[in-house]
Amino acid sequence: MSKKTVSVWTSIPFWRRSAGWVTGFAAMLLIWLTFDTMGQIAMGTDADLKNGITKRVPGPTVINYKITYEMSDKRGHEVPVIGEKEKFFGRDDWSEEEARELLHLGKLGSQAKNCMNCHTLLGNGAYYAPDLTKAWLDPAWGPNGPYLGMTNSKTKEEAMSKFLQFPSQYPTHERMMPNLGITEKEAMGLVAFLKHMSSIDTNGFPRNFGRMSTDGVTGAIHGK
Amino acid sequence: MFEPFTDVVPSIFGTLNQGPLTLTLFLHTIIILPMFWIYKSEKKRLEEES
Repeated sequence: MSKKTVSVWTSIPFWRRSAGWVTGFAAMLLIWLTFDTMGQIAMGTDADLKNGITKRVPGPTVINYKITYEMSDKRGHEVPVIGEKEKFFGRDDWSEEEARELLHLGKLGSQAKNCMNCHTLLGNGAYYAPDLTKAWLDPAWGPNGPYLGMTNSKTKEEAMSKFLQFPSQYPTHERMMPNLGITEKEAMGLVAFLKHMSSIDTNGFPRNFGRMSTDGVTGAIHGK
Repeated sequence: MFEPFTDVVPSIFGTLNQGPLTLTLFLHTIIILPMFWIYKSEKKRLEEES
């Protein structure tokens, strides 16, 4: 008995089953990915930092440590490296609760002042003003950078705090930042928030941040 | 194509996302191969019905 020629390509059940498979599989994959991501972005603890356990998002007490940004040949991009203890606003013994409170204040401040209206934080926001994701690691705020002298400060956090309180006094960018009425306490929180954010392993985002600066000082985040 | 895992936290998605090729091969394998099976079973069903 010879079989009749049939057309599978024009058969509706074939396409229905195929679409069902693709949609169903993609849905399962996305649900799995969601739970996987939640594990990846879970914040570490103070104990993790003390025991040298690497987390993508370190605990809030990372503000007690020096953070550097180093090229990883293995991964092909820069990664934040948490180093020795470093004083932050004169202290390197911020407890987990204090640090969390400070970061929380900074996070709320960044939302209240709508930083993202001009800046980018972890990929969200605008590029009217410099990307803030790794702003703490910008060499322009470092010991050889111009901003310590400009703000008459001894430390990076002091310089950033002064700038945040009175940004219109300090020319750091062609498009100068307006005064947003940030208080000293809020500025402290914001700087802590920036320092913590710079310690987050963002798989090298923003790309080539450390290599943008040619003389090792001027504005890596300014893209010059 | 298959290189040592370099990401911070081990994850199957990190392995799949080593480069564009790994992910493409994985998704095509997982999506296209079952479609061959669906095609064959639909063909068999249509032939039996006709």
